[in-house]
Formats: sequence, structure tokens, C-alpha cells
Amino acid sequence: MPWSTLCAGCLAGTVFLAVMAHVADVSHTPLGPGDVRIAFLPAIAALAFIPRTPFRPVAQATPVPAWVAPAGRVLLAAPILALTCWAQLTIAAHAVPVLLTAHSHPPLGHSPAVYPVIAQLTGWCAVTVAVAACVDRSRYADVGGAVAVPVSFAAIALAWYAPLTSRLVAQPPATPHGATVAWCAVTAIFTALTCAAMRDRWHRYTRVR
Amino acid sequence: MTATRTVLGLARAEAFRLVRSLLVLTGLLAGGAVVWVLFGPWQPLWWNASWQIGFGQLVLAMAVLAAAQLAAGRARRDAMSDLYASFPATAGARTAAQLTALAGAAPASVVLVAAATAVARARGAIGTPDVAVLAGGVVLVIAAGAVGVAIGSRFAHPLAGALGAVALLFSSVTSHLATGANIWLVPWQWNEDALGSLPGPLPGYPPAGAHMLELAGVAAAAATVAFAATVGRGRLRGGLAAAGVLAAAAICLAGALQLRPIPTASLDHLVSEAAAPASVQACATANEVRYCLYPGFAALLPSLQAPVNGVLAHLPARPDQPLTVSQVLGPDLLDSSLTHGHPAPQVSAWQARTLSAPGSAASASAIYLPVGSWPAASGQLNDARFEVALAAAEWAVRLAPTVSARTLSSQTFQQCVPVGQAREAIAIYLAILATHPPAGELRAGLGTGRGLFGSVVGSKFIPDWVFPGSSAYLTPQAGPENTAAGYLLANAMTSLPGQQVARVLARSWGSWLNWHTTDAQLAAALGIPMPSVPPAPPFLPGPGPGGGPPQAPLCTT
Repeated sequence: MPWSTLCAGCLAGTVFLAVMAHVADVSHTPLGPGDVRIAFLPAIAALAFIPRTPFRPVAQATPVPAWVAPAGRVLLAAPILALTCWAQLTIAAHAVPVLLTAHSHPPLGHSPAVYPVIAQLTGWCAVTVAVAACVDRSRYADVGGAVAVPVSFAAIALAWYAPLTSRLVAQPPATPHGATVAWCAVTAIFTALTCAAMRDRWHRYTRVR
Repeated sequence: MTATRTVLGLARAEAFRLVRSLLVLTGLLAGGAVVWVLFGPWQPLWWNASWQIGFGQLVLAMAVLAAAQLAAGRARRDAMSDLYASFPATAGARTAAQLTALAGAAPASVVLVAAATAVARARGAIGTPDVAVLAGGVVLVIAAGAVGVAIGSRFAHPLAGALGAVALLFSSVTSHLATGANIWLVPWQWNEDALGSLPGPLPGYPPAGAHMLELAGVAAAAATVAFAATVGRGRLRGGLAAAGVLAAAAICLAGALQLRPIPTASLDHLVSEAAAPASVQACATANEVRYCLYPGFAALLPSLQAPVNGVLAHLPARPDQPLTVSQVLGPDLLDSSLTHGHPAPQVSAWQARTLSAPGSAASASAIYLPVGSWPAASGQLNDARFEVALAAAEWAVRLAPTVSARTLSSQTFQQCVPVGQAREAIAIYLAILATHPPAGELRAGLGTGRGLFGSVVGSKFIPDWVFPGSSAYLTPQAGPENTAAGYLLANAMTSLPGQQVARVLARSWGSWLNWHTTDAQLAAALGIPMPSVPPAPPFLPGPGPGGGPPQAPLCTT
């Protein structure tokens, strides 16, 4: 079940980007890294449903640690996400340099660096998995994915648009190198949070009073 | 009768769940935040703000879509379909209830409209709210909810709702999918229109009624799809097919209506407003300065008069040419969303007329304010007042702009630089006296700590001073480039007794206005040392002639 969900999310974004690239080609308006970012959101939404393992109570009764199942699912999802990222960057690369370099004499500029985009998408994945893993340990575990999607999107939007954080993670004003470092730090922090959440053995069923 | 009662009872329960849904409440907050961001620091114009509020409704609509999908898919997602099937209420009744329950989203939508309206009014919005556009936003929320129910009746997984919400966002935020008049066909486009540049409401722009009809058609089509997934009887299916055809017809009709060109007479009038604003503007003369504003913008007058009068109060003598402060329309007003459907020669003629409009060329005795760029918030308002005061002071010391704004978009545009001229320091001094901006903001214009701004005149690097809100509120941006030396001397002048400075300026006002008179001479006359300017960095390779740094002309008028 989670694999069809993940594939649906990845395909939806990729098809959207392919349509956009076609329209961009026809209308001579270049695609940018922003379009790749937007197109990756459906994959992020699908990823939110991956860490939830409905058979966790059974897994906890076995000698295998309970965190193995969700961690294994996240690890198995990583190649699919990487493939999606590669496909989307390839589609965008076909639309960007054609307009920016090949048709202009002299070239208007270079295609933007890819590594900050990859770092950013990795950071988004880490945030989403961490939120989903945390919700999975709460009383809202049954709707963990549904909760994680809007929360992750809100966190991403906040990081992107809040004046305090946008200076660090959004370029410009952040440099490609600076944004990459910032997103790697975000990935590291949220991966640690994911590990802590997955190793947690108890559901937090109680209401906060 | 019993079925209706059942539907209403279920709808009440579902509507209550929708109202208190965390998703919807979060969407409401996010929608409000988006409207706040879209309003920005500018004084809202209702013909633009009404549409911006609608984009906030789009964010709420995304949340309602996801919540409605979760509600509609609840039975299958929880593996309770068989249990639900054993209940007296049919699947069709449950779908009808869920569609009726979308009325529960209306209060959130209305609250968003009310809150945004209150904010716009508090910021002194100009004009009157466009009720049709605001109502269109509410219909958008309901239509998105209906789409959510349609998705939920087919796909129970929450991802389907999330993808539906993201698709709704995609369709409206990307500029690749729709241009020209097609922007009205997407649910709610956000930045492809020219509403913010208009001097008043333009009939048929946006086509609010037709857009509302399109959204209502989408809602009806989605409801038909939702029923089609749950209703099994043949006769009802026939009715649904008829309803689907009607909904499709409504959408097509609405699309055709939205693609109609704006009437030639309306665009003619708009072009006249841009090319010959005097024919429509209301002008008032105060303190021998003429203020010309478009109808409805009279509230701006005090904000403009205060800084200009502040400068005039400290002038020993005025120039012969009287000053005019006038609103203008942007040179790129006529975009394809306005001119679609009109013959190319007609569009070219309109564009030619707007190119000759006041404000498209710099004037020695006029200050031009583009419509829609006057701030409402206090910080930016003070910056804008300072910019007006500085423009008035530059008119007073005859530091007139020398470059046409038309060259602004070309690669050859350069501002002149009043290097070492006493009149520049006097202009900045007068602007500071007139508006009293915070010293920290003025100092920040030196750019120290972030690297130096500067121009190259001859073979010398001249550090610039970029005052707060520089070139943000007035047009053309062809005033002189202010120098760090000019600001530093003006700042030093503010620490002297006002009467002493006034006496020195009045004694030989004519000579201070001469561009040959240096700031060092002014400092000596005032009895203060000439402030030292931060040292210039070495030249970097630039796009100037021969690969050197770009050159700026000296202000000599």
C-alpha cells in the first residue's frame, strides 16, 4: 500500500513537471529550480505516509526492534525519491539551458547550480519523515500521514518565507553554498529527531492538560 | 421527507465536524497570513485587494478540499463500508449530506473576508470592496470542498486529498499555464494581472460574475461526479448525466465570457487616464505647489503635503518653475491580460500613447508617484515621505533628473552623480529637516559593514549613499545618485543650530546652487570640517567600455 502511494506522488509531480516543460518550450518561458521544487511536493506528500507501520504492535512483540520496520520502509523509499529527483532535474535541465545558453549569443548565463536544490529536497524529505514519525508516536497515529503533510508543508513554507530563516535557506539572499550547508544541517537535525521518534516504544495517548 | 431529514441531520453533523476541523482552521489562519503578505506595506486599492483576498480564500479552499476528501473517504478508509451499508441512510444520502455540509466551510470563508476587509480598511484602502469578487472567493471554497467530496468518493487515501490541494495550488501559482485572458480560467491566479496598477476599477476586469459562474459550474460538476460514484439506480444516473452536461455547459459559457475582450471604450479611457492624466485628475494648489491625484486618492494629499511643506519652510528662495506632484500610471500598464482580443495596430497605438505619458520622462519640476506604490505602514510611510522630501529638495536646489525614464529598462541607463557639490548636501539636509527620519536608517545608507555602494565618475570611485526607501515610491528613478560625502556633510549640518545654517544658506543661496560650488566650500562657510568618506575599494572588472568599470555622468545642470 505505501508503495503505490509513494509512486502515485512521485509520478504526479513528474507528470506535472513534464507538462510544464512542454508548455515552457512552446511559450519560450524557461523553467527554473523553483518549478522543480514545486513538482517535488507531491512526492513529499506521499513520503509522509511511509513511516507509519500499522503492524507495529505486532512487531513490538517480536525479538526484532520495532523501529526496524519504519526505518526499513524509509530506506526503501529513498531510491524511489532519488529517482524522482533525478527525473525531475533532467526534465527541468532540458527546459532551462536551451533558453539560457544555447539560443543566446553570447550566452545569457549559466544554468543554476543543482546541488543546493538536491540539498533542499533532501531537507524537505527529512522534515516530512520526522514529522510523520513523531505523529506516529502520538494519539493521532492513525492519521499520521494526513497530519504530517500539512505540517511539513507549513514548516517548509515557514522556513522559505520567514525573514529570519529565509536568509539562511532561500537563495537569494543565501548563497548556493550557504543554502546547501543550511539544508544539510536541517537534514541532520531532523534525521536525529526521526531516529529518536522511531526508537520510542510508547504511544503518547494522554491529552495534555 | 424522511430522506431529506436524514440528509439534513447528517449534513449538520458533518458541517460541525468541518467547522472544527484542524485542517480548516489552519487553512483559515494560513489564508489570512497569505492575504497579509499579499497586501504588503502598500496602501490597498480595493479593486486589487478584493482579488488578493480571493487568493487567501484559495489557501483556505485547499484545506477545505483536503478535509472534505477525508470526510468523504472516511467509511472506506476505516474499512467500515459494510457497516455503513447496513444503515438506513443510503450512500447517496451520505454524499448529499457531505455536499450540503460544505456550507460549514462558508463561515470560515466569510470570517476570512471580514478580517481581510477590516485590515484593508485599517490601512486606509482606496475605493470600495468588489462584492462580486469577494463572493467569488466564497464560491471557490465551496467548489474546492465539492471537488474534495468527489475525490473522496473515489479515492479514500488521504494522499488523494493532498494531491488535489497541491493541484489546486499549482493551477493558480504557476505562470506557465495561463497568460493573457486565460489567467481568469484557472481557479484564482495571483500575480498575472494588472489590477494593482489601475487608477480605479475597470469594468469587466476581472470578470468576476463569469468567474463565479465557472466556479459554481466546477462545484456542480464535482457534485455530479461524487453522486455518480455512490448512486446506483438507472433513472438517477440519467439525471446525473443531465446535471453533468449542464455543469459542463456552465463552465464553457463562463470560460467564453471570461475570454471576451475588454470593451475598446474602457481601454481608451484607461489609456487617456495614463497619457493625459490632467483630464481626469483632481488638482489642488497648496503653498504654490500643485498636487494632482486620480479620483479617490485624495486621502494621500496630507501625506504628500507634509514633507513638501517641510522643505519649502526652510528654503531661502524658490526656483522660478513651480513644483507639481502628480500621480502617474506605470509604463507597462497595458499587458496582455488587458489588451487580449484587440487588433495589434490598436494595441500598438495604445502603447505608443502610454509611452508619451507624463512620468515616462524625467521632469525638472515634477515629482511623479506611480499608482499603487504608496505605503500604508508607518515605517515605509516615513521612508516614502523622506523620498518625496528629497525629491522636492532636489527640485529646490535644481538638482534635476537628467535621464529619461525610458532608458531605465535599457542597458545604457545611468544616474548622474553630484560629486562634491554643495547643493547635494543642502538637498539632503532639507529633506532630513522636513521629515526627521531615524539617524540609524540614514547611517545604514552608507552600506558600511555590507560593503560599499558606489559609482565611477571619470577615474574616481565615488561611494554612494542609498537613503531609506530609495527609488521605491517615486518614478522615474532617474534622480541623481546621492553620494556618501553629501550625506555626511548634511548629517554634520543637522548638528549645527538651525538659524546658523539658514543664515549661511540665505547669504549666498545663488552660489550654493551652482554645480561648481563644492561641499568643502559649504563646510568652510559653516565652520565645520569636511567629514571624511570611507576609503574606496580597488576597482573590479565591470561591463564598462574596454572592460573597465561602468562610468556615471557628473550632474552639471
